[in-house]
Amino acid sequence: MTPHDITKLIVRTSMKDRGAFDLLYRQTSAKLFGVCLRILRDRAEAEEALQEVYVKIWTKADRFAVSDLSPISWLVAIARNHAIDRIRSRKVAAADLDEAADVVDPRPGPEALALAGSERVRIFQCMETLEKDRADAVRGAYLTGESYAELAERFGVPLNTMRTWLRRSLLKLRDCLEA
Amino acid sequence: MTRSGEFGEDGGGDDILAAEYVVGALSVEERREVAARIERDPVFARLIERWEVNLSPIQDGFAPVEPPASVKRALDERLFAATAAAAAASSSRGGFWNSLAVWRSLAAAAVLAVAVLAARPYLVETPQPQASRLVASLAPRESDVHYFVVYDARTADIGLSHVTGERQGGRDFELWVIENGQSPASLGIIPAGSTVHLAVDQALREKIGQGAVFAISLEPQGGSPTGQPTGPVVAAGDLRDI
Repeated sequence: MTPHDITKLIVRTSMKDRGAFDLLYRQTSAKLFGVCLRILRDRAEAEEALQEVYVKIWTKADRFAVSDLSPISWLVAIARNHAIDRIRSRKVAAADLDEAADVVDPRPGPEALALAGSERVRIFQCMETLEKDRADAVRGAYLTGESYAELAERFGVPLNTMRTWLRRSLLKLRDCLEA
Repeated sequence: MTRSGEFGEDGGGDDILAAEYVVGALSVEERREVAARIERDPVFARLIERWEVNLSPIQDGFAPVEPPASVKRALDERLFAATAAAAAASSSRGGFWNSLAVWRSLAAAAVLAVAVLAARPYLVETPQPQASRLVASLAPRESDVHYFVVYDARTADIGLSHVTGERQGGRDFELWVIENGQSPASLGIIPAGSTVHLAVDQALREKIGQGAVFAISLEPQGGSPTGQPTGPVVAAGDLRDI
């Protein structure tokens, strides 16, 4: 499936084409389940969340037409935001915090970089300009849905310090991306 | 936002708030506030969108995991047990596919003037207040050009998703809106790309309503020299409320 094929499936889904929706589910549910599982860290909850994500996709597919995101990134954004909203509204047990610290570094290998477009490489190059623990905080929040409070605990700094860190890192990323 | 002073201090303001939302670190209350703002503030929504695009390569870090088949079954039950009734209701409303079929059967030459008239009887009975979002599927007409369009009346923005069909060398696609019986008005050249936007001038906004027709013609580079379509119509469809 090329991005173009996924685009077609989303557009047809927005026109309530059930066959297209089934195919879209087949092609993309593993990735979106990976997102839900990574953030929620609970299989039953991730399964429930995945259903809710596809309900959103079914009802809001028309919004894709006005998005600049690639089709798969648009779908992942829906899943990520949904999973983060979900985990944020539940109380996090202390045990979960240790697991959250176990962040796999998603920096792509050289082959992936060679294949990827230059815009995709850019964010990784810009991440390199951040101090290592600050880049980890950005990735941690993005990939595991850690809140400021959880990040502060993991890095052993006060909440406000964590906020300042992350904001400065994001500003630095923006400047780097726009340079 | 409540902590605007703090945001100012960091020199980021709305843009940094957008970044914090996208990265995912905000609390549940903050996320709720931001989500509500995305719905009502299109300028802010664009900031969010840009951060989503900028950070999206990090998504490579999510490893795919196949969900159990029970999830899809539960999903279908949840979605389509209810939609059987909804589908019956919407087919009684008539319009869209019927009028598209009419469109396709028309001769290309007469298409613009005639199709609007032909589509009319199928349109929704009562005039409704201007909907804030309208969609149209611009289906191929003797071509393979297919676009999907969303018009947002609040922001006067037309978003176009390219589905299929390439422009021939050295020529442009131009988008037109046709109100009942009127001559086509140009909305501009469609930029190349899979998802593109056109801003709508004040004067043209009133022409874009439910039942108006969007059509794409093939024009010389830079657009029609006459202000009216000069090339063949390659795709067309009517606007409907969503």
